[in-house]
Amino acid sequence: MYPAAIPLRDDLTTAHAASWAQIGQPGDFWTGAERVDMVASAREALSCPLCATRKTALSPFAVAAEKQAGHDTQSRLPPVIIDMIHRIRTDSGRLTREWFDSVIASGITPQQYVEVVGVVNTSVIIDTLHQSLGLDVPDLPTAESGAPRGQDNPDAVDRGAWVPVMDAEEDLAATGLPNAPNIARAMGLVPGSVALFFQTFRPHYALSDIPLEISQAQAEFVASRVSAINECFY
Amino acid sequence: MLLRASGEKEGNDYDLNIVTSESGDGGVLHGALLRELTEAAIGGKWRDLAEIRTRAAGLMGEQSAVDTLTVASAFNGITRVADSTGIPLDPQTEATTHEMRNHTGIAEFEYARKSARYSR
Repeated sequence: MYPAAIPLRDDLTTAHAASWAQIGQPGDFWTGAERVDMVASAREALSCPLCATRKTALSPFAVAAEKQAGHDTQSRLPPVIIDMIHRIRTDSGRLTREWFDSVIASGITPQQYVEVVGVVNTSVIIDTLHQSLGLDVPDLPTAESGAPRGQDNPDAVDRGAWVPVMDAEEDLAATGLPNAPNIARAMGLVPGSVALFFQTFRPHYALSDIPLEISQAQAEFVASRVSAINECFY
Repeated sequence: MLLRASGEKEGNDYDLNIVTSESGDGGVLHGALLRELTEAAIGGKWRDLAEIRTRAAGLMGEQSAVDTLTVASAFNGITRVADSTGIPLDPQTEATTHEMRNHTGIAEFEYARKSARYSR
């Protein structure tokens, strides 16, 4: 996926290639073609006029009805999922509990929701890195046929998030943080989504002794600055 | 916040306000350059980023510039996972960073506050 001349670690390029291929495979609650469509929709969101209008509004839910005609998209996904993907891609910092409840009330299951979150944000990492390095985003993954596996986690628990999360011990690591921080548990309702996302994320970062040329403090500054720009509390 | 933890481990006292401010390096080595790279990458300013990347490679080394963008890309994804799932802070993190979060303004990003601010 990346030219050899760019100094990226082998484990990162290997993980990205694997994740890209896996996006095209049937997931747990969506087909391979639908998952590829999610990536295409996330890309469309970046040039969507409705999303641009919402982004500049005082509240993304305050855009006048006549401007809510729809997103600029070729997607065949359900409209509520297209809207969800566009909001996650362009204005994730202003998602609300009330909005999430409306998505679920439309008939989308929490399992389907979590899988969309995993696929879209995996593609966000891969696309952002490509564009940051001056590369074209990769061609969409090849969609494979087959039915979704339907595998969720029946032991997921309520931890105060919008969705049930992975159950885990509360013990602390040497960093003083939990061995299983909430962010690692957030998509635990669908284990396949946790695996896909963190396979992609893990080679980018570590909580301590980060194996990069920049120091831990430099990495934490970058991470914190991204969180602030994206208005992320976590 | 892990920037503070890193500072304590290294014996450095970083100015945490750099996280939410629009300028400054807070005492972090190449902090201003890290900020430029990060803001251009997350803001999708690709033309600006090409120039910043070249300049950063000259000052920090190409590997450090690429690694900076590697971290920024990862957090562009994981912040969206947090925001899409409404995941709360871990209790230990909440307890140890409460004052700092209020001081820097990060507390304003808390999900219940955002929901109240932006809901229809």
